[in-house]
Amino acid sequence: MISINNLQASIEDKEILKGINLEVKAGEVHAIMGPNGSGKSTLASVLAGREEYEVTGGTVDYNGEDLLEFDPEERAQKGIFLAFQYPVEIPGVSTTNFMKTAINKVRESRGEKALDAVNFLKLMKEKMKLVDIDQSLLSRSLNEGFSGGEKKRNEIFQMAMLEPKLAILDETDSGLDIDALKIVADGVNKLKSPENATIVVTHYQRLLDYIVPDYVHVLYNGRIVKSGDKSLALELEKKGYDWIKEEVALV
Amino acid sequence: MIKESDILSSLEPLVSDGSASQEAWKMLSEVGIPQKKSEAYKFTPIQSILEKKVDWSLGSKKIFDPERMYKTEGSHLVFVNGNFDKSLSTIQEDLSYTLEEVQEGKHDPFSLLNTALALKELVINSGTKLPIFIYHFNSAAISSSRIIVKVTTGDSIQIVEKLITDSEHSFTNSYIHFNIEENAFAYHSKVQGYNANTYTHESVFAEVRSNGHFYNNTFSFESGMTRNNLSINLNGENCEGHMYGLFLLDKKSHVDNNTTVDHTKPNSYSNELYKGILDEKSTGVFNGKIYVRQDAQKTNAFQSNNNILLSEDATLHTKPQLEIWADDVKCSHGCTTGQLDEDAIFYLRARGIDQTSAKAMLLQAFASETLEHVKIEEIEREVLGLIDQKLS
Repeated sequence: MISINNLQASIEDKEILKGINLEVKAGEVHAIMGPNGSGKSTLASVLAGREEYEVTGGTVDYNGEDLLEFDPEERAQKGIFLAFQYPVEIPGVSTTNFMKTAINKVRESRGEKALDAVNFLKLMKEKMKLVDIDQSLLSRSLNEGFSGGEKKRNEIFQMAMLEPKLAILDETDSGLDIDALKIVADGVNKLKSPENATIVVTHYQRLLDYIVPDYVHVLYNGRIVKSGDKSLALELEKKGYDWIKEEVALV
Repeated sequence: MIKESDILSSLEPLVSDGSASQEAWKMLSEVGIPQKKSEAYKFTPIQSILEKKVDWSLGSKKIFDPERMYKTEGSHLVFVNGNFDKSLSTIQEDLSYTLEEVQEGKHDPFSLLNTALALKELVINSGTKLPIFIYHFNSAAISSSRIIVKVTTGDSIQIVEKLITDSEHSFTNSYIHFNIEENAFAYHSKVQGYNANTYTHESVFAEVRSNGHFYNNTFSFESGMTRNNLSINLNGENCEGHMYGLFLLDKKSHVDNNTTVDHTKPNSYSNELYKGILDEKSTGVFNGKIYVRQDAQKTNAFQSNNNILLSEDATLHTKPQLEIWADDVKCSHGCTTGQLDEDAIFYLRARGIDQTSAKAMLLQAFASETLEHVKIEEIEREVLGLIDQKLS
């Protein structure tokens, strides 16, 4: 699905990613963990195409294409989805209207016909059920005045609507209580299939109790310094990040 | 190039015969056209526009194209160069109107100029069920349309004014006055602009009695210069004045919105929201005055002006002005000026929406609040369409 090779990126001349290597195949769930400031969110943003970050080296191959060549909207149209850590509030645009535009832009890019109102509503109803989100929330201005949990649920709803090939969840657990966390994780699990893949970026292990990863990678100081299976996450939970930092210091 | 004294003397032969017109002309000759130093026209050098930009030799040649009228059912009244033209108009049976001698009007310079030059005033009475669309089709050097709207007790009226100027270097000086009796409602929308070399001064006055409501929505687009004077007098208890404005400007367009709401009696309410979107080398001005007189206790008055600058060369002047003599009132005002939110653009793009569409979506959302109370879908569509068109 995606193959990241020695990826380097900086913002305002400050190097954040210092050579990331990561291979994610269809059907897999990868967790990226790491202490604050290690570059986790930067990696998510760079993959989604955020232009403030300058890619200074390396390659990203996405289903045989050079991902870094594409604009953010083209990446989304090709099936990349970033669930934002801080979903933006947009007054005056309803989620419904926003999703209708987004879905039809994606369809247009694939040479498909736009969804008519009836079919769009049908799709919405189906996906609303999946993430247990209320209609009234979706007719309000996008994320405006939403609680933390509502915002994250809205992200997963959008993900369900857009059916991405590669979903990147950036700190989706931040600001969630345990009930909201379960609902969000449940949504993600239902959307999992052998054809798509998920990268879960998180600081804490607790989300991984609900979204069980096939692989766990530890990002530290702009590099993946350790990879393992889900037991690595448990070890991090128990011991914190310091032992990783020490290990790296020894090398 | 014509000097101010020459402007007035070249207009003198056009002054109407009626006593109100003659009187207004006399007063105008004394006060003159506002000069550069004039505080009220500080950012809008109207005198130099009249001297340098307006082509005073313009005759009227263009023919009004009925295709440019709205399709919504209602009365459609056409003014050509300031004069009501019945033959071009479509008038519903239940519309009551008369063409009358010009009566005394307000005393600011451009109202005086209108009173002096208008040939007749069109008096529209409430009672018609359908909206009234008024088209100002101007191609002469100066056009002075004059309309009086009388909304009697308990009635409601809906008026849309649209300015259509084909001739470059023409000057429009229009005047509309609403008399809103007790428990009466008036909805007034204006759509103006589309031509970079036309110059406009539009005056709107509303006199509102107890329990009366006045709504104004002003949509301004490309123009050489547009000055809007909107003045609402809330002269009764439980009155409401609502002012919504949108100015979406590009090139070297210049729009100056000068609004006044005067609370004179207790328990009235006013709400004002003006939004500006400025691109290229355009200039926007917002000046909002709120007066709360000593008698006007328990007044609620709110004002806000928000602007988005799309270019580094665009300029905006905003000035709220509150004068409050009563002590038990709630008043607020605020203004913001900024750029489009980059985070919001990225958020939309990350869902597959291209950059141009994302910007248009955000600007439409920004502007949409100013469409509140516009009850005619065609107007709403036109304004949103113009936003879209300006951005693609």
